Amino acid sequence: MNAIEIRGLKKYYGKVKAVDGLDLTVPTGVVFGLLGPNGSGKTTLIKVLCHLLKPDSGVAEVLGIPVKGRSYLPRIGYMPQEIALYEDMTVHDNLKLFAGIYGLDRVTFKRREKEVLTTIDLLERKDFPLSDLSGGQKHRISLAVSMIHEPEILFLDEPTVGVDPLLRAVFWKNFHDLKKKGVTIIMSTHYMDEARNCDIIGMMRAGKLIDEGSPDEILKRTGKDNLEDAFLDIVKRGASS
Amino acid sequence: MNMRRTLMISKKLFWSLKHDRRSVALIIIAPIMSMLIFGLAFSGDVENVNVIIVNYDQGGNVPGMNTTISLSERVIDNIDEDTLVLSYGDDIDEAVKKVEDGSANSVIIFPENFTRNLLSFAQGSPVDEAETIEIRSDQSQVTLSQEVMATVLEALIETTESSGFSNPLKIDTSDPIYGEGAEFLDMFVPGIMGFIVFLLTTILTLISFVGEKTGGTLHRLLASSVTEGEIVVGYAISFSIIGMAQVGILMGIAILVFDIMVVGNPLLAFLIASILAVVSVSLGILLSSLAKRESQAIQFYPLIVLPGFLLSGVFWPIEAMPLWLRPVSYFIPVTYAVNGLRAVLLRGWGVLDIWFELMMLIIFAIVFLLLAILSLRRTSKA
Ligand SMILES: Nc1ncnc2c1ncn2[C@@H]1O[C@H](COP(=O)(O)OP(=O)(O)O)[C@@H](O)[C@H]1O
Ligand SMILES: [Mg+2]
Repeated sequence: MNAIEIRGLKKYYGKVKAVDGLDLTVPTGVVFGLLGPNGSGKTTLIKVLCHLLKPDSGVAEVLGIPVKGRSYLPRIGYMPQEIALYEDMTVHDNLKLFAGIYGLDRVTFKRREKEVLTTIDLLERKDFPLSDLSGGQKHRISLAVSMIHEPEILFLDEPTVGVDPLLRAVFWKNFHDLKKKGVTIIMSTHYMDEARNCDIIGMMRAGKLIDEGSPDEILKRTGKDNLEDAFLDIVKRGASS
Repeated sequence: MNMRRTLMISKKLFWSLKHDRRSVALIIIAPIMSMLIFGLAFSGDVENVNVIIVNYDQGGNVPGMNTTISLSERVIDNIDEDTLVLSYGDDIDEAVKKVEDGSANSVIIFPENFTRNLLSFAQGSPVDEAETIEIRSDQSQVTLSQEVMATVLEALIETTESSGFSNPLKIDTSDPIYGEGAEFLDMFVPGIMGFIVFLLTTILTLISFVGEKTGGTLHRLLASSVTEGEIVVGYAISFSIIGMAQVGILMGIAILVFDIMVVGNPLLAFLIASILAVVSVSLGILLSSLAKRESQAIQFYPLIVLPGFLLSGVFWPIEAMPLWLRPVSYFIPVTYAVNGLRAVLLRGWGVLDIWFELMMLIIFAIVFLLLAILSLRRTSKA
């Protein structure tokens, strides 16, 4: 079974065609990178897949379940583009809230809290209110919250924006660790060079998927030595054909 | 509707209150402040009103006796000196000037024939109307001048009674049906309760909901399988608890500080407060769908405050409103809460006596809850 199946998906905001007829298949257990400039429709696509936006037409399935229903939601994790946490609550209470929503029992929660906070190296900040943490630290907590319940698929919207290189390395190590456990990761980014770390990338532009494949395949096909040039090349060829 | 998820939403509010001093202060201090302000402003009886007495009374002879008496002196003696501070003058114009410049509230004038008239009245002879006590007041201070009139009337009645005259007019208010020992302030207490719960719940919900939307936490909740209904009901539960706590605080202050008697069942007051809180939460959520930012939300405050404040019978009875405006107050849920709270706290009525108010509040709660859920569904998946 594939993690994601999308056919002819469209989502318009009035006249703005945020997602405009998109087909995509993502196999289970890969790190998939949605690569595209700002405004290309990455966030909109992720929100449709997380049951936050109703598509105008087309079908999308997550874990084989149509996104129309919400039964798959407990099996996915979602890290929004913004921090999206409760500033007046401690790190612990933020984690406890979502663990409680997912129905984790006390023992499991204790174990998971220690695990995720250790992964992002913030165990000692457990009882700090979010408002007392730095932007980068909140970012890490946001990731921790999205994976507290050991989801099968993690949707991460620009998880590495504004993250310093050291922390970015931590994030990537974490993504590959999760992948080893069989978790599928769908992440968006507009940093072209970072996408090299993904197993598969899908290049988006103006609501459409303009190319798809492993970074090496794409580089080989375009004859470029970096993804940024490859992206430009694909856009140019798309425009001329 | 999943109970576990709903309760997590309710608990979340209390967890965030641990570190949100601003809201805690609002929840606890606002009822205390408003109670103290209203209490101090309205609790005291009117005291120390300055009046000037101009006494032209010549006195008169009691029939069959040879002594001259002055009934005006007796009336003056009988005036309650805690209420009125008396000073004396001989010239009306001078006294009126003092009222005009604000150093006194009223001039009380006893005419030349005051005693003679009263004596002949007591014997059944007709009395020239112009020759009775004249009170000239600063009517711009209605409460004060009414108090002056009442005090003088009281002194007059006392004088006639103690002088053995029969009283033509007698009104006895010493045996009230409800509110025995109740003072002006007592009527305000239920009003303040209803108003505080309504105002704070609506505003806090509005602010935190705009925050949930702009901060992205609403989407995080929805993506984690919480439904719109669970969020709305979760909020309603926690604010019901807060509303009951506020009513508890208000009742405590009323009893301990202002010595107000609560004759009814406090549990019934808590029930009314909690249903009102549910209505208010729903209203806050509905309003939040009209606001994109907290600054926009602030523009709705007058929209909440004014009708709730003016038309719900919080501070004056609906019966005192113009007829054409009254139907409006029947569409304001606070009206029913305040009526119910008054009936329970001041008259000691039970559930069966306030079934209409309870039913109206429950209907408001259900309708508003459904509207809030629908509007949240619509705006959250734009
Ligand atoms: N709520 C919205 N209303 C109207 N237009 C929107 C809304 N959200 C996004 N858009 C528009 O849709 C397009 C895609 O946006 P988005 O999915 O956020 O792109 P990305 O995440 O790739 O930067 C952009 O042109 C953006 O302006
Ligand atoms: Mg985006």
